[in-house]
Amino acid sequence: MDLQARLDAERARRLENETVRAAYEETVTTLRRNGFLPSVLAEETLFPDFVLPNTEGRLVSLSSLLARGPVIVQFFRGEWCPYCRIMLDALVEALPEIEALGASLIALTPDTGPWVQEAKTTHGARFDVLSDVDCGVGLAAGVVFRVLPLYLARLQAVGIDFPDRHGNDAWFLPMPALFLLDRDGRIAWRFADPDFTRRATPEQILAALRALDPPG
Amino acid sequence: MELTQVRYFVALSRTLNFTRAAEVCNVSQPALTRAIQRLEEELGGALLFRERNLTQMTELGRSMLPHLETMLNAAESAASLAEARRRQPPSTLKIGLGPGIAAGAIAFAIREVASILPDLAVRFEEAGPAALAEQMLADMLDCALLPADCELPERLNHWPLYEERAIVVVPSAHPLAGRQSITAADLLGETLLLGERCGGFAGRIGPESGLQFRLRRCGGSWAHLLDLVGAGLGVAILSERLAIPAPLIACRLGEPDMTRGIELAAVAGRPQGPAVSGFIKLCRARRGKAFGLS
Repeated sequence: MDLQARLDAERARRLENETVRAAYEETVTTLRRNGFLPSVLAEETLFPDFVLPNTEGRLVSLSSLLARGPVIVQFFRGEWCPYCRIMLDALVEALPEIEALGASLIALTPDTGPWVQEAKTTHGARFDVLSDVDCGVGLAAGVVFRVLPLYLARLQAVGIDFPDRHGNDAWFLPMPALFLLDRDGRIAWRFADPDFTRRATPEQILAALRALDPPG
Repeated sequence: MELTQVRYFVALSRTLNFTRAAEVCNVSQPALTRAIQRLEEELGGALLFRERNLTQMTELGRSMLPHLETMLNAAESAASLAEARRRQPPSTLKIGLGPGIAAGAIAFAIREVASILPDLAVRFEEAGPAALAEQMLADMLDCALLPADCELPERLNHWPLYEERAIVVVPSAHPLAGRQSITAADLLGETLLLGERCGGFAGRIGPESGLQFRLRRCGGSWAHLLDLVGAGLGVAILSERLAIPAPLIACRLGEPDMTRGIELAAVAGRPQGPAVSGFIKLCRARRGKAFGLS
């Protein structure tokens, strides 16, 4: 089953619960109504350079990755999110092909400490998982939003504690957008959808990577 | 939301004047007004209200401001660290260490910052929590490691980093030196050195074990306490994270199992230079059981 089919099946199963459905619909319809997408960095724009910590206690810089080739920047919400778990598995599976095309992949989450470690180890991810501490890079990319009331209540009801995970009580989250950056750091392709159950699929990512101009 | 919207809102919160905020941000006033309106739509309410010539923050505005300021600082520091990596300016890191807290646990983060900012100078200041808090507020320290149970002013942010256990330090010739693990009862008849700036474990063992111990009070740091252990004046109960120099021996304290939490504190909302923000982000990203252990 491909990634989106797996995500769709997960969504269908979860939305059988009325509370979950109401929280999901509130988030998706509000973000669509607010015109969230124009805030997200558009194709052809330069992705701002950044340095963030990874799970091994090292600082990772975007420009040093770009020096080696195209970079895929994937935002995700956290290991607590079932759709992110499915997506991370798919990315782990796709990594050899991504690397074979000369690109690298990094995944950014606002989670910190053991929570971000968990995301890295559970999926056996060979790519760097970075803590986007206080959502700074997410803000620069235009993907951050404030969690809406029904969704917040739902998270709290199931014991997902953002103040502990994020180290702040702002209740901000990134939309799980993906940016494919060419060697110059320019956004060659992006995927962003206010519906957090929709993600860039490995097929789309690989197609976009193949469509990049070969190094001149 | 967008970086510029947040930047404009933070500027407006400082000036409470649309014209001046537009000047500070170098944009036209209509552009600034539009950006604020879009931010208000996204956050679901007015952030400011305008009465004749007076602009004031709403309750929503006041409650969102610290969060938006923190996120803006995080965005700017992620970019400024990238810029500093290219330009390698001289930088300093001034870190406070609370009572009995070792710098060993944070050495990885300092090494990492120094690897991208080779001209990094580091200064440590050892003192009690209140004095360190005061120095942070006075901008004399960038951040501090403090025991989790201390009271801090509201203006300080703090994040739990790790838990540490107590160990017992004895001279190598001491009868307990070869033991894998010792209990409070093994220490009856010993003199426990009670340092004021040594983490407080020696003061806890009596109440926590229900036993009475002979205590010797010693002012000074944990390093001074170790000198006295070496001279045979008593045994010390300190954090497992401290590097115990030979010929002293550290024994695990099995019973009571005393631990304490260590937090990282820094002034909320204060923009930090690249070295400081990189250090704090590294610490926050790695917090947990394995913090600072290689």
